[in-house]
Amino acid sequence: MTYNLDVTKEHCPMTFVKTKIELNKLRKGDILNVKVIAGEPLENVPRSATEQGFNVLSVTETATPGIYNIEIEK
Amino acid sequence: MAKITVNGKEQELENLTTLAQLITSNNITQPDMVSVQLNEEFVNRENYETIALKDGDEVDFLYFMGGGQSA
Amino acid sequence: MNFTEDQIIRYSRHILLQDVGVDGQEKISKGKVLIVGAGGLGAPVAFYLAAAGVGTIGIIDGDVVDLSNLQRQIIHFTQDVDKPKVLSAKEKISQLNPDVNVITYQTLLSSENAPEIINDYDFVVDGTDNFPVKFLINDACVIAGKPFSHGGILRFDGQTLTHVPGTACYRCLFHAPPPPNAVPTCSQAGVLGAIAGMLGTIQAAEVLKYLTGVGELLTNKLLSFNAKTMEFRTIKTKRSEKCPVCGSNPTITQLVDYAQAACEIKTKR
Repeated sequence: MTYNLDVTKEHCPMTFVKTKIELNKLRKGDILNVKVIAGEPLENVPRSATEQGFNVLSVTETATPGIYNIEIEK
Repeated sequence: MAKITVNGKEQELENLTTLAQLITSNNITQPDMVSVQLNEEFVNRENYETIALKDGDEVDFLYFMGGGQSA
Repeated sequence: MNFTEDQIIRYSRHILLQDVGVDGQEKISKGKVLIVGAGGLGAPVAFYLAAAGVGTIGIIDGDVVDLSNLQRQIIHFTQDVDKPKVLSAKEKISQLNPDVNVITYQTLLSSENAPEIINDYDFVVDGTDNFPVKFLINDACVIAGKPFSHGGILRFDGQTLTHVPGTACYRCLFHAPPPPNAVPTCSQAGVLGAIAGMLGTIQAAEVLKYLTGVGELLTNKLLSFNAKTMEFRTIKTKRSEKCPVCGSNPTITQLVDYAQAACEIKTKR
């Protein structure tokens, strides 16, 4: 299943903390699309997710400039 | 000449040495202050005089630490 | 367990840790820990466990705050002199973290009350300052099958071990209390205040590791340090077959209140 999370209003490290809390609720194989702003969140979230054993499938800019979608598989 | 370790540090024993003698030679003035482990095994006090150390033995002197206010 | 937004922020640095995460924080938040002694060791233990969000913290101490305590018992402040230590401690814990349920026992741990008190907790921390009660905590926990952390400090030295059932207990290493006056106390020999912090914080870390299951506990080990040289040593040990309380033929099956002043042994049912 696919889920969505918007952390564009969060400051690091809450961006990844919230991502992690959501991922914790999912089943293995589920996808979480995390919306982040450019800058620190865009760097931290994919890196931390990978470090902690999650699979970052893609990082793409959304239709809104400066807002990105990080696709993470549990 | 036997080489033993005492509290992790090497010591050389020239003559046959008992645990009791080792305690004295390590400046432990009161044997009551310490507990002794020999090769990771606790040693009863009454055996200090009779146990002779051999090459490779590991001795640990464990100190009572109570802290605080009262005795 | 659902954390509030504030709790997520408060515990974010735990949640970030791969080894802890939300699950680990839940375990901490459900944990129940008894701290025996609200003094030099009890103070940093209480602070760090409260900061971590341990759900229930029990504190037992019969003393009131004395001016001479303030050099190292950092949970008590100048205005707390003459206040019962457990009340002083509870106030600071609650201010640091209102999530924590603090249960106070303004009394001394004894052979009579120990089994009932420790029964409610997952883990016991020895933050006491005398040998009779250190042995009591050991015996009570071993007999009840409760994990605990032993701690002791003096001058510039500290030592600690963690016991879980089946591993070395304090008596495996020290079969009986030393004769009175064989070992000086801090009030006789002194202690560098920060040593209490060094050792107590190690004990707090052991508690959190126990609750979350992370890492290796200081079981079958005695960690000791000398702060003058900052030399830390871990002595390997094991459960002693000859141990009077946890060995193959235990001679201690009931709790003992060693007399504080003299070396008489009084057994009580």
